[in-house]
Amino acid sequence: MIMHIDLNSCFATIEQQSRPLLRGRPVAIVNRATEHTAIVTASYEAKQQGIGVGMKLATARLLCPALVALESDPVKYRFVYRKLMEILQDYSPYVRMKSIDEGLIDFAQSSLEIRQRELADIGREIKQRLRGEIGNYMRCNIGIGTNRFLAKTAAGLNKPDGLTEITHKNLREVYRRLGLEDLTGIAHGYGKRLREVGITTPLEFLDADELTLEKQVFHGKPGRDWYQRLRGWEVDAIDSTLQSVGRQFVLDERNLGYDEVLRRFHGLCEDVAAKLRHQSVWARTVRIYVKSHGKYWQSLHHEGRAFHDESTIFTAVEKMLRTAPLPAIEIGVTCTDIVSEPDSQAELFSNEEYVENITQAIDKINLSWGDHTVHSADTLGLANRMKRKVPFGSTRYL
Amino acid sequence: MNNDILLDERIEVIAVFGSGNSPCRPVKFRRKSGREVVISEIGLGFPLPQGSRMIHVFDVTDGQADYRLEFDATTLTWKLVREADHSV
Repeated sequence: MIMHIDLNSCFATIEQQSRPLLRGRPVAIVNRATEHTAIVTASYEAKQQGIGVGMKLATARLLCPALVALESDPVKYRFVYRKLMEILQDYSPYVRMKSIDEGLIDFAQSSLEIRQRELADIGREIKQRLRGEIGNYMRCNIGIGTNRFLAKTAAGLNKPDGLTEITHKNLREVYRRLGLEDLTGIAHGYGKRLREVGITTPLEFLDADELTLEKQVFHGKPGRDWYQRLRGWEVDAIDSTLQSVGRQFVLDERNLGYDEVLRRFHGLCEDVAAKLRHQSVWARTVRIYVKSHGKYWQSLHHEGRAFHDESTIFTAVEKMLRTAPLPAIEIGVTCTDIVSEPDSQAELFSNEEYVENITQAIDKINLSWGDHTVHSADTLGLANRMKRKVPFGSTRYL
Repeated sequence: MNNDILLDERIEVIAVFGSGNSPCRPVKFRRKSGREVVISEIGLGFPLPQGSRMIHVFDVTDGQADYRLEFDATTLTWKLVREADHSV
């Protein structure tokens, strides 16, 4: 059995926990302290007034003048994430955090004592522990099902603070209450394909035969997966491997010239290199992109040898950026072709060992004295402008 | 944006060091001006490593305003670093 735990309106709820005077008030979390920024999380009170994720703060204020906007506080959210993970790990060795605000427990490998308990009891206990060990305003939605899909679906049914189980007894009833696009994994494209073959509701989706899904809708294995997923068979128990490491940045000023954009790229290179080393991996390819109004430009550079130091990445970026169209509004650096070992053959005429030693020394100082204690002189003064924000997808760096 | 006032003010704090999930609980503090603030609720307390130094952050309220206090576990000093009244 699977239990899905979802801290809804996560960052806003954490802020309301942390700042008691904000409880019961519309709160929006943004990543940057400007009116043009987009909302990353809205509290339940804000959502009730029509404010949603992705909405511009200035627009939200028109809808709700009493809206309290707060800049995100990643350290606090990481603390709550870790506390939640600690709680969940008490129930099974198999816990996966799907993102900073949701995780799942697979009870298949739990102790006999845990497996003999009612899962709804465990769910209630987790809610109680969340309030006791983090704060009494914390709420979460819990869903229980035989696979990840049903557990997540269940968690979304009775927000906020719900505890719902989907079993073979209520499966059809649950599907009856949902629309096609309410199903996790069915967005506009798949919804259109399903409707084209006459499947317009989740119940019709459930009743569709496997061959129709495989041959006519999904054109292959995804059709078989959906047939099983909808019935509660597990097809999503796959741990993803690290494919790329990167960071993007929406520029803090418009119309920045080449030198200033390059400096910000340098800041990204430092971060991406630190992320590679944090994961103990190396990369072989650097990709950069530059977004300007309506335009997207990118460039790739393959390095002969595996790297995880900032200088190699930045040298590649510097070469590529010369042909980029500026001014830009957003930039990004991504390293791909990830390998878990450095090249074993040493180069005869390189300064590889020197670079590795310097990098290790800098990491050691930063570990002891705090991030960005030692960094490139080129990025001096940028740390505050380029603060790392909350990663919504991967939890690798939390 | 919210009306947060960022500060760097050394303060005197009375705290209880007990047991349980939150062993350190600030109870009240005195600001540089002499004003005493009695804490009615600790919203959230969490550690904030700064390299090898450990700072313990407490987001608290006196019912009138929210405050952020930081306790430096190395120097055993307290600072008031933020005040917000969230008035509409």
